[in-house]
Amino acid sequence: MEERRTRTPRWAMAIDLDRCTGCEACVVACHAENNLPLSTPEEAAKGRAVHWIRVDRYWEGEFPDIRLKYMPVLCQHCEHAPCEPVCPVYATYHTADGLNAQVYNRCIGTRYCANNCPYSVRFFNFFEPVWPAPLSLGLNPDVAIRPGGVMEKCTFCVQRIKRARREASLEGRPLRDGDVQPACAQSCPAEAIVFGDLADPDSEVSRRAGSARSTRLLEDLGTEPKVFYLSRLSSR
Amino acid sequence: MDRTADSTPVLGPERVARREQIFADLLGPLESVGRRWVLAATVSAAFVAWAAFAWAWQLLHGIGVAGIRRPVFWGFYIVNFVFWIGISHAGTLISAILRLTGATWRKPVTRAAEAITVFALMIGAMFPIIHLGQAWKFYWLIPYPNERLIWPNFRSPLLWDVTAIFTYLSASFLYLYLPLIPDLALLAGRSHGLRRRLYCLLSLGWRGSSREWHALEHAMKLMAAVILAVAVSVHTVVSWDFAMAITPTWHSTIFGPYFVAGAIFSGIAALVIVMAALRRFLGFHNYLLPVHFDNLGKLLLLMSLVWTYFTVAEYLTIWYGKQPAEYVILQERVYGSYAPYFWAMVALNFVLPFLLLGIRRWRTIGSVTLCGFTVLAGMWIERYLIVVSTLSRPRLASAWGSYSPSWVEISITAGTFAGIVLLYLVFSKLFPVIAVWEYEDVSGRPL
Amino acid sequence: MDRRDFFRLVGTTSGGIVTGACGRRSREILPLLVPEREIVLGEEQWRPAVCQQCCAGCGIIVRLMEGERIVETPQGKARERIAVVKKIEGNPLDPVSGGRLCARGQAAVQSLYHPDRLRQPMRRTGRRGEARFEPVSWEEAIAGAAALIEKAAADPARILWLGPPLAGTRSFTVAAFLTALGAPAASTIGLGDFTVEREAAELAFGWRGLPVYEIQDADVVLSIGADFLGGWISPVFYSRRFGQMRQGRPGRRGRLIHAESRFSLTAGAADEWLPVRPGGEQALALALGHVLAAEKLVRDEPAVRRLLESFAAADFEAAVELAGLPSSRTARVARALAGAERAVVLAGASIVQTNSLEAVVTANLLNWLLGAVGRAGGVLPPPEPPDPALEHTRPRFDNFLSRLEAAQLVLLDGVNPAYALPSSVPLLEKAPAVVSFTPFLDDSAVYADWILPDHAWLEKESVLVPPVSPMPAMNGSAALVQPLHGTRPLEQILVELAKRLDKNIEADSAGRAFERAFALRKPAGEWETAAEFRDFCLRQGGWWESAGPQMPAKAPPEPPPFTPAEFTGDPAEFPLHFLPYPSVQFGEGSGAHLPWLQQLPDPVSSAMWGLPVEVDTGTARRLGLATGDIVRVVSPQGAIEAPVYVNPAGLPGVVAMACGQGHSHYTRYASGRGANPLALAAPAVSRGCGVFAFGATRVRLEKTGRRGGLIQFSFMDREPAIERR
Ligand SMILES: Nc1nc2c(c(=O)[nH]1)N[C@H]1C(S)=C(S)[C@@H](COP(=O)(O)OP(=O)(O)OC[C@H]3O[C@@H](n4cnc5c(=O)[nH]c(N)nc54)[C@H](O)[C@@H]3O)O[C@H]1N2
Ligand SMILES: Nc1nc2c(c(=O)[nH]1)N[C@H]1C(S)=C(S)[C@@H](COP(=O)(O)OP(=O)(O)OC[C@H]3O[C@@H](n4cnc5c(=O)[nH]c(N)nc54)[C@H](O)[C@@H]3O)O[C@H]1N2
Ligand code: SF4
Ligand code: SF4
Ligand code: SF4
Ligand code: SF4
Ligand code: SF4
Repeated sequence: MEERRTRTPRWAMAIDLDRCTGCEACVVACHAENNLPLSTPEEAAKGRAVHWIRVDRYWEGEFPDIRLKYMPVLCQHCEHAPCEPVCPVYATYHTADGLNAQVYNRCIGTRYCANNCPYSVRFFNFFEPVWPAPLSLGLNPDVAIRPGGVMEKCTFCVQRIKRARREASLEGRPLRDGDVQPACAQSCPAEAIVFGDLADPDSEVSRRAGSARSTRLLEDLGTEPKVFYLSRLSSR
Repeated sequence: MDRTADSTPVLGPERVARREQIFADLLGPLESVGRRWVLAATVSAAFVAWAAFAWAWQLLHGIGVAGIRRPVFWGFYIVNFVFWIGISHAGTLISAILRLTGATWRKPVTRAAEAITVFALMIGAMFPIIHLGQAWKFYWLIPYPNERLIWPNFRSPLLWDVTAIFTYLSASFLYLYLPLIPDLALLAGRSHGLRRRLYCLLSLGWRGSSREWHALEHAMKLMAAVILAVAVSVHTVVSWDFAMAITPTWHSTIFGPYFVAGAIFSGIAALVIVMAALRRFLGFHNYLLPVHFDNLGKLLLLMSLVWTYFTVAEYLTIWYGKQPAEYVILQERVYGSYAPYFWAMVALNFVLPFLLLGIRRWRTIGSVTLCGFTVLAGMWIERYLIVVSTLSRPRLASAWGSYSPSWVEISITAGTFAGIVLLYLVFSKLFPVIAVWEYEDVSGRPL
Repeated sequence: MDRRDFFRLVGTTSGGIVTGACGRRSREILPLLVPEREIVLGEEQWRPAVCQQCCAGCGIIVRLMEGERIVETPQGKARERIAVVKKIEGNPLDPVSGGRLCARGQAAVQSLYHPDRLRQPMRRTGRRGEARFEPVSWEEAIAGAAALIEKAAADPARILWLGPPLAGTRSFTVAAFLTALGAPAASTIGLGDFTVEREAAELAFGWRGLPVYEIQDADVVLSIGADFLGGWISPVFYSRRFGQMRQGRPGRRGRLIHAESRFSLTAGAADEWLPVRPGGEQALALALGHVLAAEKLVRDEPAVRRLLESFAAADFEAAVELAGLPSSRTARVARALAGAERAVVLAGASIVQTNSLEAVVTANLLNWLLGAVGRAGGVLPPPEPPDPALEHTRPRFDNFLSRLEAAQLVLLDGVNPAYALPSSVPLLEKAPAVVSFTPFLDDSAVYADWILPDHAWLEKESVLVPPVSPMPAMNGSAALVQPLHGTRPLEQILVELAKRLDKNIEADSAGRAFERAFALRKPAGEWETAAEFRDFCLRQGGWWESAGPQMPAKAPPEPPPFTPAEFTGDPAEFPLHFLPYPSVQFGEGSGAHLPWLQQLPDPVSSAMWGLPVEVDTGTARRLGLATGDIVRVVSPQGAIEAPVYVNPAGLPGVVAMACGQGHSHYTRYASGRGANPLALAAPAVSRGCGVFAFGATRVRLEKTGRRGGLIQFSFMDREPAIERR
C-alpha cells in the first residue's frame, strides 16, 4: 500500500486542437457518464442547459477566408482555482491529486464559485433533475445525482479515477499511464483528448503538455489550469 | 438640561403647557389609528403577504422559478441585498456622525434614521437566504459547534458578510434601543394594560436617576463610535463580495469606499423620504423643520458628488486601460444593452440632485424629497448594473448571456419595499418616532 | 472469464489490434445474456455489440450493471432486478470504431430507455395519419398483419419492404421472408445508402462497394463534396484517420483541403476550404485534372495517358468559373496535390445534386493521376464482403416512389419515408395496407394499419457488415439485455407472420452468421469447429479478418462528360440555392427523438432543441435579416418557417439547413418541433443512379417580421475585438 502512495498523481488533460473536429462526441459522452440533468427547451432558452464540456466555436476572418475555431472547454481543474476560496462551506475544494472537487451534499447554492470561475464551466441545478421513466435506468450508479439548488461541473470523471485505482490495487500494481480515461477522452473519435498524470514525466499528457504547441486558457490569470491545449496549426 | 431626578423643579404653567404640547405631538400618534394608517397598513401587508407566497413558491418548486441563469447566477436578490444594506447606513451612520459631532439639528432625525437601519438590515439580511439554492441550509454559513466538526470557510467573503451583518444588526439594534429606554419608561407611566406591561418590560426598570442617565449617555457615545466603524466595515465587506472575486470590473480596489459612499448616499436618500413622510402624515411640522431638510439636502448633494467622483474614477480607468474583459462590460453599460440603465443612473444620481440641490433656490423640502426618490432608484440601478451587467459578460465570450427577473423576484422585491413601510407603520404606533426626551424632561414624576 | 483471459484469448489471434486495446482500459466482455442471478450489485460488465444509430456499423462495447424494473404480479407491482445498459463505448478491437464513438452512438442508451418507445403492438383506430391507435395483443397483431400480407401476396410484386441499408442478420431474415412471399427484395429510401458513391466507385475503379480512403497515411488530402468528419458514411472511422493524419505521425502533418458548398465539420477542420458552388464539384475536379495534365505535374504513364489527354482537353477557365473558385487558387491546390509525396482525393456527395455521380466519378479519377489508387496513403478497394449472402440482402435504393405508388402493401422497418421524402405522404395515405415494425411512433408509422414494434437493437442479437472498413469485417453479438417492454424482435415477428401464411422461414442469428463465415472464409486460427469460432466472435463482438487479397482496379475510364447541375425553380422567383444536409446530431433525422442530441449545440449555429436556416451574410443584409428572425423559406415544392442563423461562412446566395427537426410525430422530444427542410426539396434525382438530389432546389426567403424560436447555447460566435486607439 505504502509504496504505491509514494507519488501523488497530478491529473491533467491535453486537448489537441489540431485533431479536434468539433464533433461533440465528447459532450454526449460526458452526459452519458455523469448523469447530467436533461434540459428542456424552455430551460435551455433561459441559458440553463448543462454541458460539463462544451465545444466553444468562434468564427475568424470573413468569407471566403473564414475559419471556425473549435475549443472543447471543461473545468480546467486549476491548481489555483478561484472558485475554491470563495465557497463559504468548503463544498468545492482541492483534492490531494489536484482535482477541483465538488461536494454536492455540502453545497448550499450561493453560486459564488460560478461567478468566480473565469472559464464559466460551473453549472447550477435550478430545479430537481427529472428523467422520465425508464430513462433513469441508464443513469450511472457510480455518479451521484445532484439535487436541485446545488452547483455541479466536470469532475475529471473522478469515479473512473477511483475505479482504475481500485482495479490496479486489486491487481497489486501501480496505476499505468492510460489506465484512467475520462468519458470525453475515451469517446473522442479524432483522439484529440489525452488524460493522465502530470507528475509522471513519461506520461503521454506530460509529453503533450511540454509540446511547443501547448498553451493554456486564460493563463495570465495565474489559475494554473491543468488542461493543456495544443494549438491548431495552419498550413495553406 | 437638568436631568437629575432628585432636584424636582417646580414647573410654571407655561412649561407645563409646552410639555403637554410636546407629549401630545410626539406621543399622540401612538394613541389612535386613523383610516389612512389602516389603508396603508393593509396595502403594504398585502404586498408582503404576496411576497411571502412568492418565496414559498420558490422554496417549493426550486430556485429556478427565479430568473437567474448561467452566466448571470446572481440577480435581483443580490441587488436587493446590497441595496438594503446600503439603505441601512442611513440611519446609524448619519445619526452617529451627527451625535458625535454634536449637531443639534439632528434631534428629530436620529430615531427615524436608526429605525431605518434596523429595518433595512432585517430586510437586507434576508436576501442572501432567499437567494440560496437550498435556503433551508442557510445555517451552514454559521460557525456553530457541531459533532461533525464541520466549519464554514472563513476565507470566503460570504462568511465575512455573515459575520459583519450579524454584528451590524446586533449593534444597530442596540443603538436604536438604548435611546428608546427613557421614552419607554415615560410611556410605561402613561399607558395601561398590555401596553403598559410591554413598555415596563422594555424599559428595563429605568427610573431616570442621574447615574442611569450618565451610563446611558456613555453607552450612546460609545455605540455611536462603534457603529461608525461597523457600518463602514459592513459595506466594505459587502463590496468585497464583489471585489475579492476575479470577475472583471468587480475586482477593483476602489470598491470598498465606493460602496460605503454609495451606501451613505442611498441612506440619506431613504432618511429624507421617511422624514418627509413623518412630517406629512404624522404632522411633525414643528419638529422636522425646513432647516433639517436643507441640511440633509446639502449632505445628499455632497454624497452625490462623492459618488460621482468614484464612478468617474472607476469608469475612466477601465475605459483608458481597455483591458478586453473589463472593457466589454463598460461598453455594454455605456453604449450597449445596459445603456438605458446606465444613463438613467447618471441622471438620477447625479444630474437631478446636482441641479435641484445645488441651486439654492430650488432646494426645498419638496425637491429634497424628490431627490431622495431619484437617488434610491439610481442607487438600485447602480447595484443592478454592477451585479447583472458584469455577470452577463464573463471572460469567455461563448458563455455570454442575459438576465431578466421572474415574477417571483419582482414580487419579493416589491414585498420588501412594502415591508419597510409596514414595519415603519407598526413602529410608529408602538414607539415615538421622535425621541421625546431630547425635547422634554421625561424623568420627573408623573404630571 | 475475466478481462485478462479475454484479452489473452483474443491476443493469440489478432495481434496488432489487441495490443492497442490492452493498454487502454480494463474491462470485462462477457459471453452471453446475463442471467439475473449473475448480476452482482455494483459490478460492471462490458459486452460487445454493434451500433445501429446510423449505417456505419461501429463495433461497440456496452456497460451493463444492475437495475430494476417494475413488473406486474398477481400480488401487485413488484421490482425485478435486471441487467441494464449504462454506457456505450467503442469496441477497441473493431477496426471501424477503434474504441471511439460519435455523439449519436453515445446517445443510443436513450433510444433503449426512451419513455415513448412503443411497448406493445397497436392497431389503427383513427384515420391514416391521425395517430389514433389502440394497444392489442401479439396474437391479434400477428393475425391482423398476416391477413393484410396474405391479401397482398396475391400480387407479391406489389409488396414493398422499406428498411435501412444495412447488411446483416436482420436483412438476411427479411430477405428470407420476402422470398417466401415471392416479393421483391427489400428497398431503402436513399438516405444512408451512399448509392452515388457506390456507383461512382464502380465506374471510376471498377470496385463493388465503398472505397477506403487511406487519409491517415496521406500528406495532402483533398476532399470534394464529402463531409467525412460529419455525417458521411462512417464519421468515427474517418475522424480517427483524420486525427492520425494530423498529429499521429511525429514530424509529419497531413494537410486537408476541403471543397464543399457548405461550411461543414470537415470544412471547419480543414486547412483550406474551397467554397465550391452547389453543383460545381465536377467542374472543380475537371479544373484540377486539367492543371495536373496540362502542367505535366503527374507522371505520364500509359495506364493514365487517355485520362490525361481528356483532362488536358477540359476548358479550365469555364470549369473554375462554374465551380465559383479563383483560377489561381484552383491551380495552387492542384500543384499542392502533385507536389505531395502522398496525395489522395476523397470524393463523395453529402448533399446530392443532379450531377453528383459525374462529380464523384471525376473526382475519384484524379486519384489515378496522383497514383493514389491502391497505394498506401491513397484509396484502397473495399474489402471483399465477408459473407456475400449478407451483403446481397442489403436493402438497396431503387426509385421507391414509383414502387410505393403501385404498392399493395408497404412494410416499414426502421425507416421514415414520410419525413425523408414528404412527397411520399399521400402515397402512404392511399396505400391499401401499411404495416410498421418501427419501435417508435414516427411520421410514417402513423400511416400504418398495424404496428408490430421491434425490440430496441440493444435488446436483440445482430450482426452487421460495416459499409466501410479496412478489412472484411462483421460486427455483432448476442442480445445484451432482456427486453424492457412487450415488444418482439423483428426476426421473430417475421417467422411468426410466415408461419401464419404457411411458410417456413428461419430467423437468422448472430451465431449462425459467424458459423457461416467460418465455413466461407476458413479463418486461420486455433478454432477447430464453427461453434468455437462463433463463440469467439460473439465474445469479442465481431470478426475482422487480417487484410485479405485486394480487389484489383480496372483501368480508368474516360472522365464522364461535363454535366452541369440542374436546379428546380425559376431563378427569378427563387433566387437562392437550398441545401438541406444531414446534421451531426440527428443524421437525416432519425436521431431527433433523443434528448441528449436535441440539447446538443449545433456545431455551426450552437442551436439546441431546434435548427435554424443558415443564411449568408450578404443575403441577410440584403433582406434585412438577423440571427433569430423567423423567415419563410419558399420553394416550388412548399414552404417552411424557421429562425435564421446568419452564417458568416455561408456561400453567397446559398441557404442551408440541417435535417432533423420538423417531425410530425416522433416522441415527446421531437414531435412538432421546428421545420423539416426536406419538405422543400423538389423531386429531382441524380442522373445515372436515380437517388434523390436534395440539393437541387431553389428557394426564396420571405421575412415574417417575427423573431424567436432560436435557442443557442452560445450566441456569441466571435471573440470580441477591442480596438485600442
Ligand atoms: N445504506 C447505508 N446506510 C448507512 C450506512 C451505510 O454504509 N450504508 N452507514 C451508516 C453510518 S456508519 C452512518 S455514520 C450514517 C451516516 O448518515 P448521515 O449522517 O445521514 O450521513 P450523510 O448522508 O453523509 O449526510 C448527512 C447530511 O449532512 C449534510 N451536511 C453537510 N454539511 C453539513 C453542515 O455543515 N451542517 C449540517 N447540519 N449538515 C451538513 C449533508 O448534506 C447530508 O444531508 O449512515 C448510516 N447508514
Ligand atoms: N467517502 C466516504 N468515506 C467515509 C464515509 C463517507 O460517508 N464517505 N463515512 C465514514 C463513516 S461515518 C464511517 S462509520 C466509516 C465506515 O467505514 P468502515 O468501518 O470501513 O465500514 P464498512 O465499510 O461498513 O466496513 C466494515 C467491515 O466490517 C466487516 N464486518 C461486517 N460485520 C462484521 C463482524 O461482525 N465482524 C467483523 N470483524 N467484521 C465485520 C464488513 O464486511 C466490512 O469489511 O466510513 C467513513 N468513510
Ligand atoms: S470528441 Fe474530440 S474531436 Fe469531437 S469535439 Fe470533442 S474533442 Fe473535438
Ligand atoms: S475551471 Fe473554474 S471551476 Fe474549474 S477549477 Fe478552475 S475556477 Fe474552478
Ligand atoms: S454554490 Fe455551492 S460550491 Fe459554489 S460557492 Fe456556493 S456553496 Fe460553494
Ligand atoms: S472529464 Fe469527465 S466529467 Fe469532465 S468533461 Fe470529460 S467526461 Fe465530463
Ligand atoms: S458513426 Fe456513430 S451512430 Fe454511426 S454506427 Fe458509428 S457510433 Fe453509431
